[in-house]
Amino acid sequence: MSQVTVLLRGAYRDFAGRSRVPVEAATVGEALDRLAEACPAVRERLRDEHGRLREHLNVFANEEDIRRLDGERTALREGDVVHIIPAVSGG
Amino acid sequence: MKKGVVVMVGTRKGAYLLRSNGERDKWSEEGPLFPGEPVYHLSFDPRDGESLFAACNQTWGGPKVQVSRDLGKTWTVASNPAFPKGHRNTFRRTWHIEPGHGKTPNVMWAGVAPAGLFKSSDRGMTWEPVLSLIDHPTSDQWQPGGAGETALHSIGVDAGDPNRIVIAISAGGAYITTDGGASWRPWNEGTRAEFQPNPEPEVGQCVHHLVSHPAKGGVFFQRNHNRVYFRNADEQRWIDRQEGLPTNFGFAGAIDPHDPDTAYVIPLDERVRLAPKDGIAVWRTTDRGKTWKRLDKGLPEGAQAEVMREGMATDRRDPVGIYFGTVNGEVWASADGGKRFERIAAYLPPILSVSTATLE
Repeated sequence: MSQVTVLLRGAYRDFAGRSRVPVEAATVGEALDRLAEACPAVRERLRDEHGRLREHLNVFANEEDIRRLDGERTALREGDVVHIIPAVSGG
Repeated sequence: MKKGVVVMVGTRKGAYLLRSNGERDKWSEEGPLFPGEPVYHLSFDPRDGESLFAACNQTWGGPKVQVSRDLGKTWTVASNPAFPKGHRNTFRRTWHIEPGHGKTPNVMWAGVAPAGLFKSSDRGMTWEPVLSLIDHPTSDQWQPGGAGETALHSIGVDAGDPNRIVIAISAGGAYITTDGGASWRPWNEGTRAEFQPNPEPEVGQCVHHLVSHPAKGGVFFQRNHNRVYFRNADEQRWIDRQEGLPTNFGFAGAIDPHDPDTAYVIPLDERVRLAPKDGIAVWRTTDRGKTWKRLDKGLPEGAQAEVMREGMATDRRDPVGIYFGTVNGEVWASADGGKRFERIAAYLPPILSVSTATLE
């Protein structure tokens, strides 16, 4: 388990009421779950009822989109940063 | 509580509340609420006289139902409607929120996309799927309408019978329950689907807006894709009352709260989906659709505006107030049953819905 930081931008910062949430997690998925525990208002904004990440949402581990890594199973190391960034949808 | 009318306006970029006194001659504007969020519909619960509901469909972070218990001063986020684990559907957005019957004061209904009906038994804070409809044996025949998704957008609760509810889906047609939602059957006899090889199928009609009469039991009215229909619960078929209207297309429809034979539609040109060349107008029947009359006094001559399916509503006052909102962001109102209209709001974002709260 590593100490990592979740940074939230745009609408997600508003949903959480803050822009930075420190969590302990071994993977990106765990970091998102810890984030939802710390900020319950974010839970349904992150995932649909089947647990899938919502559309129009990008998650980065450090500087890499997790879609190009191992998705939510992407491993995290001490000091890593998970970015929650609304997608630039709509032109 | 102070007498008056609140016109609730859902737009592509938030919601607005237009408040007036009982005379409806002065209006104040509040908003936007939920700035930036597409608000497909707002509704008022006349049973408690204080609850408002908003169908907020934020692109980023997903849809939310918002609930107010103080006529819109403060709002709380409700739990989302959710399809069961493993279900083929995933909740995408809320299209319509409807108070239940007066004899079931805690019940609310929500229509969502993909087409589904949800029931709340706690005044809108949590929602359960109505699987008897969502998984109806005919549900594989529902097709996406012009909005690009299947959607349940109309919920007509029978004023005389809490167990009888009629819903409508684009493009799936109307369904009726007579046992409070335990079972459903198609209720499309007499309605046409002119875009299908079989123009009178059992299901698949493109209903644009369906309402029940708020006071007289067993009365239903629908603005269909190409036709306009009335039907009472004891009738075997919908009665086609399209004749006399200037076009065979439109989205909005409303029924008069004082007279079940009086209804209103806003005809549009089917090809461009704007008002025809004469300009935007409300058309009224007072004889259950046998004849129609154009009401346009005060409306801009020749304005080719568009009004969406939730874009017109009446209040409960006498004479009745008629309200509609256009895609170019104007709200028009008549406080005298349609004799004359005046613009009560302008420069709003594109308007998706207009609904009312009559405070007695």
